[in-house]
Amino acid sequence: MTEARNPFADPLRFERRVPECAIVIFGAAGDLAKRKLLPALYRLAYDRRLPASFAIVGNSRTPMTDDDYRARMREAVKQFSEDGDFDEELWKRFAANLHYVAGDVKEPNLYQALREKVNATGQANILFYLSTQPSYYATIVDGIGHSHLAAAPEGAWRRLIVEKPFGHDLQSAKELNSRIHAVFREEDTYRIDHYLGKETVQNILALRFGNGIFEPLWNRRYINHVQITAAESIGVEGRGGYYQEAGALRDMIQNHLLQVMATVAMEPSAVFEPDAVRDERAKLLRSIKIMRPEEVDLYAVAGQYKGFRQEPGVNPDAQTDTYAAGTFFVDNWRWAGVPFFIRSGKKLPKRVTDIAIQFNQAPLALFSAGDGDQKGRPNLLILRIQPEEGISLLFLSKEPGSGMRLRPVSMDFNYGTSFGERSPSAYETLLVDAMVGDATLYTRQDMVEASWTVIEPILENWSNRRFDFPNYDPGTWGPAEADTMIAKLGRQWRNT
Amino acid sequence: MSTTATVQPERILRDLQELWAKMASDQADSGGVLRACAMTLAVAAENAADAERVRQTVGVLMHSHPSRAVILHAGSTGGELEARIFAECWKPFGKSQQICSEGIEITAGQSGYSEVAKFLVPLRVPDLPVVLWCRGVAALEPGPLEPLFPLAGKIIFDSSQVSDADSALQFLRRLRGRGSRVADLHWTRLTGWREVVAHLFDDQALQPSEIMGAQVTFGGPSVTTCARYFAAWIRTALPGTRVTVSSDNGPRGLHSVVLSTASDTLTIALGSDHCVEVTGRGRHYRSMLPSTSEQALMQEELGILGPDPVYERALSA
Repeated sequence: MTEARNPFADPLRFERRVPECAIVIFGAAGDLAKRKLLPALYRLAYDRRLPASFAIVGNSRTPMTDDDYRARMREAVKQFSEDGDFDEELWKRFAANLHYVAGDVKEPNLYQALREKVNATGQANILFYLSTQPSYYATIVDGIGHSHLAAAPEGAWRRLIVEKPFGHDLQSAKELNSRIHAVFREEDTYRIDHYLGKETVQNILALRFGNGIFEPLWNRRYINHVQITAAESIGVEGRGGYYQEAGALRDMIQNHLLQVMATVAMEPSAVFEPDAVRDERAKLLRSIKIMRPEEVDLYAVAGQYKGFRQEPGVNPDAQTDTYAAGTFFVDNWRWAGVPFFIRSGKKLPKRVTDIAIQFNQAPLALFSAGDGDQKGRPNLLILRIQPEEGISLLFLSKEPGSGMRLRPVSMDFNYGTSFGERSPSAYETLLVDAMVGDATLYTRQDMVEASWTVIEPILENWSNRRFDFPNYDPGTWGPAEADTMIAKLGRQWRNT
Repeated sequence: MSTTATVQPERILRDLQELWAKMASDQADSGGVLRACAMTLAVAAENAADAERVRQTVGVLMHSHPSRAVILHAGSTGGELEARIFAECWKPFGKSQQICSEGIEITAGQSGYSEVAKFLVPLRVPDLPVVLWCRGVAALEPGPLEPLFPLAGKIIFDSSQVSDADSALQFLRRLRGRGSRVADLHWTRLTGWREVVAHLFDDQALQPSEIMGAQVTFGGPSVTTCARYFAAWIRTALPGTRVTVSSDNGPRGLHSVVLSTASDTLTIALGSDHCVEVTGRGRHYRSMLPSTSEQALMQEELGILGPDPVYERALSA
């Protein structure tokens, strides 16, 4: 609701209004729906963010009645709601809008059944959510198109949310885009990257462009390098079959972490509007230097933890990267020569996702050797994405007492405590955005293709070689080659 | 947790430091305590009993607006200024570490708020916003609270108890004319109603240019600031539209808004269960109004520390 269009708008006080709509979820009995989507929708209902009239229509192959599906989702919401708020009365009202259609996405009859179900709810607007195995995405979009489910009546809309991975390489991403565009316009296509929905990732824009003190330093003159880490302490946890086809580079770096890097490094947009922000992100992704084939061994490292090949569903000879690290450079005036080190892996010492921006050291060593053993420690600005969202600034301070001993201290901002209020989950934010038609936090076709272009040389190299896997122990920070990669450029990982 | 102190700002601040150190030590096994503060919230309570109610409200408000609360009230028997400090702590769901905000309660002596204002200056948290919440009708009259006004970036009143809407609005305009940001909880009570009206224009089904007139009906014997605000809000959004205000015999507050076009009318009327009913142009639905508890109203106002252009336009109109 913008003031230009609506003279009664009061954006400071009014919530964005979610229009009445039906959400059709493909893969509605799957893990994502149970763990994230339904809990997020329930929480939106709890916070009264959903309109009085809405419908959720789930689809999967499992035969179930509406009531069976409601019972199953009730358990899922109780189990996976992040803050444990479960209100039986609210659930009853919420579940009354929950419907289910069993069927195979390859069967045209399914789409007819979905149409009848949606029509019965009386909803004119439809948001389709693809939460199935990626190999079904094109089939589902074709099915929606052939059944004319994508044809919206006058004044209504049809939108499509696509879960990652969006293709498995550049070529397949282009093909998928082409199939989608045969049915949905680009502006109605919402490619979800839930990292962009996280409060701290959004807060990167606020930190950079809402404050005057950081942006003047945000360039090659003052920033030495940037480290982006997404570490998980767990392994593949029963997803071995899927994961061995994806790997860390495709599963994390191609989408989440390159998008995070783009958010950290992009230029400010002229206005805070979806396409203006996404234009800048896309521009940054296109500015990332593409590795030449001979540079891949220098700038990229693959790893696999001991025991991965023994996981259920995993090929005993799998060449899957459960760890990937890369060094990326941005070819523009702001970032020329500044390395961005990105790593992601499973079975690392702890679960942490953060961005560490390391500043150059003070130009003059005022405190000579002997006065303090920390004189060389650089300033670090750490943007913590999980588990505790927040921002820390590390700087040196004099230790109390005589002499000039310096000690690093941390100035911490914790998202949860400074504002007190509960932060909405990424899926709550992104679902509302899609329903109101705000694509700022969704990725666009050109962004997806640009990020595949960045990692294409690495994929090409890795697919043509045999690694001596496994090469790291569970509970360590990955293979030694990753330390070597960063050390060659005179830096080291923050393994804290 | 609380402790008392004589009123010397330095002493109060030192006592707060000691309180934090003790709490950190007591809670060391569970990760210590996290001190959270995003503003100074000064509250001028009506009396000691009101101060006690305020303390409970502020304790809840701190969860979403961590602050240093400074609760001021006049003593019942006069005498010396007195102060005590306290901390409000809570544990977020699933977390072991406590989050705490701090508070200071000051009982004014015979000299009243003029002396208290002197103490408030050093007790403000440096560089963070200062909000002054003035409770009761006395606050809307020039006089005792005047010395506190220049100290705050935002001053919150509640004109709901004021019988003379004109004088209340004049007072708020005068204060704003002096550069203070003001808020009135009686305006905040209208948010739910205003949101329902605004949403009528969200889609293209109803165009602002179609509206020829608006009839605002409220309950109570005299025109309240609430009715005046609502009419002014419509006038500023739709300049040139004829807006009339009338009263009926129902309970105090807004009862209905009727928007007229050349061919039909849209009615938004107070229904049962804290809902409004929207009728007209093929629509008939109910919309639940948000809570108008004092805590909910304050929650909304503390979320707006910068300019509030829509309210300011309505106040000026």
